[in-house]
Amino acid sequence: MAAVSLPAWAALAPMAVFALTALVLFVYDAVEPESHNSALLAGISLVGSLLALGITGWYLVAGTGQPRRNGAIELFGGNLVVDGMSLFFTALIASVVTLVVLASYDYLQGHDYQAEFYSLAMLAATGMAMMSTANSLATAFVSLELASLPSYALVAYLKHNRGSVEAGLKYFLVGALSSAIFAYGISLVYAATGSLQFDAVAGAIADTSLVGVLGLGVVMVIGGFAFKTASVPFHFWAPEAYEGAVAPISGFLSSASKAAGFVLAFRVFLTAFPIDVIGAVDWVVAFQVLAVATMTVGNFAALKQEKVKRMLAYSSVGHAGYVLIALAALTDGANHSFVLGSGMAHLLVYAFMNTGAFLFIALAEHWEVGRTFEDFNGLATEAPFACAAMSVFLFSLAGLPLGGGFFSKFYLLMASINGGVAILAAALIVNSAVSLYYYSRVVKAMWIEEPNGDLEIESYPTGLYAAIAIAAVMTVLLLPAFGPVAETANMAAEMLV
Amino acid sequence: MTVPVQFYLLLSAVVFCTGLFGILVRRNALIFLMSVELMLNAGNINLVAFSHYYGNLTGQVFALFTMALAAAEVAIGIGIILVLYRNFEDIDVTKATTMRW
Repeated sequence: MAAVSLPAWAALAPMAVFALTALVLFVYDAVEPESHNSALLAGISLVGSLLALGITGWYLVAGTGQPRRNGAIELFGGNLVVDGMSLFFTALIASVVTLVVLASYDYLQGHDYQAEFYSLAMLAATGMAMMSTANSLATAFVSLELASLPSYALVAYLKHNRGSVEAGLKYFLVGALSSAIFAYGISLVYAATGSLQFDAVAGAIADTSLVGVLGLGVVMVIGGFAFKTASVPFHFWAPEAYEGAVAPISGFLSSASKAAGFVLAFRVFLTAFPIDVIGAVDWVVAFQVLAVATMTVGNFAALKQEKVKRMLAYSSVGHAGYVLIALAALTDGANHSFVLGSGMAHLLVYAFMNTGAFLFIALAEHWEVGRTFEDFNGLATEAPFACAAMSVFLFSLAGLPLGGGFFSKFYLLMASINGGVAILAAALIVNSAVSLYYYSRVVKAMWIEEPNGDLEIESYPTGLYAAIAIAAVMTVLLLPAFGPVAETANMAAEMLV
Repeated sequence: MTVPVQFYLLLSAVVFCTGLFGILVRRNALIFLMSVELMLNAGNINLVAFSHYYGNLTGQVFALFTMALAAAEVAIGIGIILVLYRNFEDIDVTKATTMRW
């Protein structure tokens, strides 16, 4: 029993910290628009994201919003909810933001508009954290847009770089289209049920007369999530946006933004459209098709890439397919909390290993060694530590027991067997085998190939190195510590099913 | 005499499809923005009509949110189209193709 009990709204403190940090950065930029004090700007952002991470960690440990205290905390008439799952994902997002900010300090040296960069990143983080607490279609849409709009601007951050602008444009075009589809889907669900709050929607689904309208609405809502998580059929933006954006932002979007899309999808489909109530759409089958298609498209497209960053972008599409198993294996006989928990645990491990891999790309861009596989030849002779970390990330992404990726993929495999969906298990194994080939191409280039001529590295930026080191340590630590993580995820998932 | 609520669904579907058609066939980025706006407003028609039908205000209030977000989205979109024009001397969305898979 805590000595002081906080008011209920204090459960939203992590999001408030993110928003406040963004505002502090805006105010600083308004007062000192010409300032190039990047250490101060990065420092403010780092303090903000660490504070948010600390508060979330404290809540997780203290049991805020979890069954062992007073259960889920509902705010604003049940439109926001803070529970184990939202805290789990807020912690994930805050960790990714911390790594990204740390790396951006070196990466952004010499660039203008740094204050805007950091404050947009903080606003996007606010939106992503809100997505994990959204408990009504209204808050879901607003928080999804709050996460998306700053992301468009962040991708187009290098406004004199054609690649960055093109990436921003494509991300924006697909994003605007899919958010319009999402909004129309929400309006159809409202038309069929008369409410937007998840529990109320679930209550009204059974006796709606507009079954066709509801079904169409659910399909359109799936489309909205497919965009946010970079799944087929709305994955086209992902390779372009990740390749064109500055590398820390690619890491941010492919890890945190994807996780936020998934947590919202988990909540919507388990709370608002429970499979035993909704007869209109068998969304489990829809997700089985999407999962297999996403895995296969992502991994086989990654095989053919010449640029490492683009390969990672397609691999990130493939990983979205793996996580979709968490929704696709929710069949009648399955242990729902285990299936869902496996997806959550994979997203957490993925957040560290994938952000780490993109931060290594940031380091390579900082050194200006080039973008193709050949350009990475012999990099280990110059920077053995960073290359060792990158090898850990890649092998963990492939699912070898060098990092937590091994167990999280194994759990997903168990989940698909538990759900009795053999095709998911088969697709997971085949795709993991395929992915090992293209991941090891990078490792081979770095460690085995001879450097081509004038490979020389002059600087070893501290911030980037620190971020990569933290990500690597976390990836490796998640191997022995996977048990407690999976247990936390299962407990969080249990409240939803 | 009141209009049956199904007619609103039909109207919104027509508006939505008009917007979708515009996105698929037009190449001008500004027309794209207008088409997205049409699609969002199709959603608003549903929300307002069914808000009246069910007699609760949820839909109407959410329609206000959607409008505000649509405006924010256009603001970001115009910014990106502006830098697109500066870099590619055109706002044709099919011209920006430096990256290919």
